[in-house]
Amino acid sequence: MPDTIIIDGLSFSLPLFVMAVGGIFSEKSGITNLALEGFQGFGAFTGAFAAVYLYGVFGADSVIPYWASFVFAVIGGGVFALLHALLCVRFKADQVISGVVMNILAMALTSFLTKRINASIFGNSGNKFMLSASSRITIPGLSELPVVGAVFRDIYPFELVIVAVALVMWLVLYRTVYGMRLRACGDNPQSADAAGINVYAVRTVAVFVSGCLSGLAGMSFAYSVSAQFSPDIYLGYGYLSIAALIFGNWSILPALFACLVFGFARSTGAAVIHGLGLPSSYNDLVRTLPYVLTLLLLVFFGRRNRSPRALGQIYDKGMR
Amino acid sequence: MRKFTLSCLAIGISLIFGALILWLMGKNPGEAYMSILQGAGLMEKARYSGRQSMFTDFMSLVDAMTPMIFASLAVALALKGGFFNIGVSGQMLFAGFCAHMAAQFLPSRIVVVIVGFVAGAVVGALIGWLKSRFNVNEVVSSIMLNSILMYVITFYIYTFYINPVSRNSVSVPAAARLTLSGFRWEGMKVDIALAFPAAVITAVLLHWFINKTTYGYEIKAVGLSPRAAHYAGMNVGRTAVITMTLSGALAGLAGVAYYCGYLAAIQPGVTPSMGFDAIAVSLLGGNNPLGCVLASFLITVISKGSVYMSSRQNIELEIASLITALILTFAACSAVLDRRRGK
Repeated sequence: MPDTIIIDGLSFSLPLFVMAVGGIFSEKSGITNLALEGFQGFGAFTGAFAAVYLYGVFGADSVIPYWASFVFAVIGGGVFALLHALLCVRFKADQVISGVVMNILAMALTSFLTKRINASIFGNSGNKFMLSASSRITIPGLSELPVVGAVFRDIYPFELVIVAVALVMWLVLYRTVYGMRLRACGDNPQSADAAGINVYAVRTVAVFVSGCLSGLAGMSFAYSVSAQFSPDIYLGYGYLSIAALIFGNWSILPALFACLVFGFARSTGAAVIHGLGLPSSYNDLVRTLPYVLTLLLLVFFGRRNRSPRALGQIYDKGMR
Repeated sequence: MRKFTLSCLAIGISLIFGALILWLMGKNPGEAYMSILQGAGLMEKARYSGRQSMFTDFMSLVDAMTPMIFASLAVALALKGGFFNIGVSGQMLFAGFCAHMAAQFLPSRIVVVIVGFVAGAVVGALIGWLKSRFNVNEVVSSIMLNSILMYVITFYIYTFYINPVSRNSVSVPAAARLTLSGFRWEGMKVDIALAFPAAVITAVLLHWFINKTTYGYEIKAVGLSPRAAHYAGMNVGRTAVITMTLSGALAGLAGVAYYCGYLAAIQPGVTPSMGFDAIAVSLLGGNNPLGCVLASFLITVISKGSVYMSSRQNIELEIASLITALILTFAACSAVLDRRRGK
């Protein structure tokens, strides 16, 4: 049983984490991002479309559609995120409103297009893209270790990608000039502008990155949760990752910790409920845990929680 | 007036966009839009099935639009007070659930309305209190509460309150339902939304409340600038709690009108998307209570009418939410044009 807890916990935490990293990028640059939910769904849509299309070209057993689906998910999520950037940066729309609208739009657009594409290209009337099951990797040697060995057993390939991507993103945010500029734009865009930084460009790129990472997460959820793309992908994981990034105080490592807590709480709860022979509806009670934790954290430690100072503020060059 | 023009512009652009999509799909946009009006009961259809007419279609439009009016009023009031009530969805669900529970013991319409009103107000007050006492951002606490309420209610429904056939909750007793479903009238089967007049009256009252009373003035002042309101001697914290309590109460009425009126049961596992659509409807209505009524009407015409259009024109049903989403996107942009011109 501890094995399934670790395996399921990790495969849920890591996509959540990479999405939270995207959220951190966007919010550190000063753009509130409630649209993660929509980004991950749109990314999963483009990725799943690519996969299903390529099954026809390479066959369902080939690894090419699998990896291509992630590439297209990243591109799709990023491109869709540019719309949020366009509204927030160029049109100076209210960022919270834009985020909500992006979620509504993503859900409407992907459900419509899925049916449309199924009808016109694949000749069926379904509202989903069926994916072939993802392969699992077990690392020989390490997986033999007692207890922690489960970390290296039955890994989804995307988990390794996520770890690598998250590492790179951490380096970019805290160890590069671009990362420093991004954080400056979120704390004091006026000074950043005075220092010669193009605030609009930095913020646009940050939102694009958040879309790319959310797309990666969405595709991972599509494989691990249901092995298909359908409107059911909008289960609120985007909002959960927002909870994680707030819980993690807008920093990458604490956000990882939060995601692991959320993921393991979920898998432990499921295992306990299964072990006690309770009906699976009790899982719903366990799923409130991350949100309750985050709310309590904000109530009791809210003062220590510091959001980027210019978060949600529209930056207007002319305004000083 | 300027806001009205901008909203019309947003609608116009999205209708052109929608027409373009329809045209690309090889359909006649004019015919498609006409069938939206026919489906919404605003134009005569070529043929009606038994016990149905343009009037019955129109009455079910009114039925669907009633909760939307309340929900958009909830958003509009909160925005006036500087709050972004993204929790309308959760407040609706909670109020609908509490009303269902109360109706089990006392199947009466008055009980259902009062319980829903209070339940919504409690959630709203909690969000306002967290904001003023602990400085917890209302958007964040609302998102958390939405999920918490949704999962707990889903758990309860699946465990104790499920209708095994429909996989929804048990239906509310007919004596407590705010919609007279299938009411026989001149040989027709009509759905009569009893709450609709109340929704319109509430909109008018809210308009008066915001513009003509001291409380309304304080809410607007705090919304525009909490610091200035504080210097002027207003109690900012208390006003914030009052704003969110009232907003939550309106959302509660929306929940009752939705789950004990338009629908009779609660679907487990989801928060009502109406709570999110209402944000955009309020935006489209220029955050003006009377504008909200108009915008609710328009959005409901599209969502209801598109069902008929999709079957008539053989277009995916999802086109309805797509057109709605487009309107919302352009409405979000139009706020920008407004700000630009205002300067």
